[in-house]
Amino acid sequence: MSFDKRISRRNFLVGSAVLAGTAPLLSACGGRSSAVAAPTGAPRRGGTLRVGVTGGGASDTLDPHIPATSPDIARVRNLYEPLLYRDHDYRLEMLVAESLTSSPDAKTWTATLREGIRFHDGRPVTPADVIATFRRIMDPDDPKSGAASLTMLGEVVAAGERRVEFRLTEPSTVFDDYLAQYSLGIVPADFSVDRPIGTGPFRAKDFTAGLQSTFVRNEHYWRPGQPYVDELVLINFAEDDARINALLSSQVDVIDQVPVALVEVLRSDERLRVLSSQTGTWLPFTMRVDRPPFDDVRVRQALRLVVDREQMINQVLSGQGRVGNDLYAPFDPAYASELPQRGQNLAEARRLLAEAGHPNLDIELVTAPIQAGAVEAAQVFQQQAKAAGVTVRLRRLDTTTFFGENYLSWDFAQSFWYTRNYLPQVANGSLPDSPYNETHWSDPEFLDLVRRADRTVDRAEREDLLKRAQRIEYERGGNIIWGFVNQVDAYQVYVAGLVPDRTGLPLSGYSFREAWLG
Amino acid sequence: MTTQSTVFRRALSLPQAKIGLALTAVVVLLAVLGPWLGPWLTGYDTTGFAGKPFQSDGVAGTDGLGRDVFTRFLAGGATLLLYAVLATAIGVVLGTALGMLAGYTGGRLDSLIMRGNDVLLSFPQLVFALLAIAMLGPQGWLLVLVIGITHAPRVARVARQATVAVKDSDYIKAAQLYAMPRRRILLREVLPNITGPLMVELGLRLTYSIGYVASLSFLGLGIQPPSADWGLMINENRIALVVEPWGVLLPVLAIAVLTVGTNLITDSLASAAAGREKEVAA
Repeated sequence: MSFDKRISRRNFLVGSAVLAGTAPLLSACGGRSSAVAAPTGAPRRGGTLRVGVTGGGASDTLDPHIPATSPDIARVRNLYEPLLYRDHDYRLEMLVAESLTSSPDAKTWTATLREGIRFHDGRPVTPADVIATFRRIMDPDDPKSGAASLTMLGEVVAAGERRVEFRLTEPSTVFDDYLAQYSLGIVPADFSVDRPIGTGPFRAKDFTAGLQSTFVRNEHYWRPGQPYVDELVLINFAEDDARINALLSSQVDVIDQVPVALVEVLRSDERLRVLSSQTGTWLPFTMRVDRPPFDDVRVRQALRLVVDREQMINQVLSGQGRVGNDLYAPFDPAYASELPQRGQNLAEARRLLAEAGHPNLDIELVTAPIQAGAVEAAQVFQQQAKAAGVTVRLRRLDTTTFFGENYLSWDFAQSFWYTRNYLPQVANGSLPDSPYNETHWSDPEFLDLVRRADRTVDRAEREDLLKRAQRIEYERGGNIIWGFVNQVDAYQVYVAGLVPDRTGLPLSGYSFREAWLG
Repeated sequence: MTTQSTVFRRALSLPQAKIGLALTAVVVLLAVLGPWLGPWLTGYDTTGFAGKPFQSDGVAGTDGLGRDVFTRFLAGGATLLLYAVLATAIGVVLGTALGMLAGYTGGRLDSLIMRGNDVLLSFPQLVFALLAIAMLGPQGWLLVLVIGITHAPRVARVARQATVAVKDSDYIKAAQLYAMPRRRILLREVLPNITGPLMVELGLRLTYSIGYVASLSFLGLGIQPPSADWGLMINENRIALVVEPWGVLLPVLAIAVLTVGTNLITDSLASAAAGREKEVAA
């Protein structure tokens, strides 16, 4: 081994000295800036927008229906459009469809296609294209990522020149919510990934998996005037440092996912703007309600009282977040905002633990860097639990092992979820047959309320049922939901049109049709 | 027994040894007293929160979780130093025993030990450590054991060479005539006369141990969070190097000063031992 040779030992020493010498210089040149005014007035046409996106790799794809990594999602959002999607405020917004209505029994949903909407090559969108798209997504031999939440979809049939009917096998009052996913983009009947055609604001020009993709303006886009830029370049960045340095050196105009700890630094640079969006993304601690000691509701309640939520937001997220109240789906119209905000109460926590027969509770928390802030949150929780006499041992795994064969059987672990409304979230993680029921939650009273809500068409009655279901989770659920994470991105001051977005996707939900350069 | 103290005295008279000793002493004192001094000086304990992450509060700012960097720096050397010393001890004791046995006995046992040694030597030390930790998980005793064991063949080579050089001396022959048992000859006659090269080896292995423990902690495979540790600190704070450099700089400086210090001592021991050999030859 070359380490044993004298010369490399000397090199090592020289290397450490050089490193020690240069670091202060680096810190000294961080504050340099040249003032540029932020653009104002009406959006201007033209130019190339270069975007640095986190992640990606050799398996990058232009397939509209299987986006996996952030660059995939960014591409899908700009090349294709689903029938409807979420706007920046997390309300449903019609895209390829101009309306979507439900029959009174919520078993048939009818979509009317937008008048005059065309694909990138100028062909109009027809019901046959929509039917072919859903056949491609639901292909039993190769189901795409959107198929999992569309299990109730029976068949898709044409019902006129611009109408498509979705016939369901069981009633679903929130089917519009299930259709509003970016991975359900409408493509022509003769679609192939080699000719990636959709109705999105940009069309593909160049694509190199793992490196970058270049898109150009779609002349046939249905929104008048948009998109504003002529060319969109999406560049993959694996490392945080590389992405931030690319922004600082103006190699890119926009980057997604700034580490929260660096927000203040970027904010102090006049050449840059930080885009911080409140989202419904949450990073809970998950307790298995069917395993000791968490099968005792008093232990779950005590651990929820142990958490100092404000401190979590400050230490883990540098203040870039909002406190949670052990409830998810904060943007759902039925969100139970009337329940009192839970705070830290160590005396009550100790009392509950003593009552449950665990005065000196010792538990293992399984953690992994599954999302920025996860391991940090585990460490802060460990520190906070100490004050209540609870010993938390951290078992740190890598992400692959965490989501490996033991995923869903950890007694006490962590998870993360993007913004969802209540019923879709319940379907994903809170039913006995949900794919990701991490807490093994199967409260009979809760299940009854949720099943009834799923079939109730009347809005007020449904909201009442959902609020009662949330109260049960608030009182005895297995998630400790301490907060909702802000999405933080950054861009050069001359970029305009990017706005905060609640979906949890970075950079206005990767919606670059609204961006323009000053 | 006098040769040993001569080497030491000779080494200590060299100016580089004094510098090395001073540097090492500073860092060792810091590492040993740090865990007690930290909370007393700054008012925070190693896992307590001093403010928001990467702010300039306190002497050296806060780290990625808002903990006080200076407190963590003071507390971060003790475990590193302990692990490095233990690993070195295991390596040197094991290596010396094997090397002396091989060198003194010769013949088939010599070949067996030394060829086995060569096989172990063909594994890069860090790769071997990574393998063991990946299989058994990052635990303190494993870290010490695996670094110690990988040191042993390197020490054994030196110990054997030194043993072969002295084993035909008259005082060994005399001891053999008295039918002294082999263990006693090795311990009472051979060992005191090969301490020079062994001391050099000890210093060298200590330097490498410090480097390895810190590297493994940096990679997330050594000392685990939330413990304060210099290697781990470098990893935790490197993202904010431009903003709050102290979280990286302080541990880097401490590790650099410690390795330079132990290296200077080792170098002077080596030249002292070499000087003595020259004298004997003349």
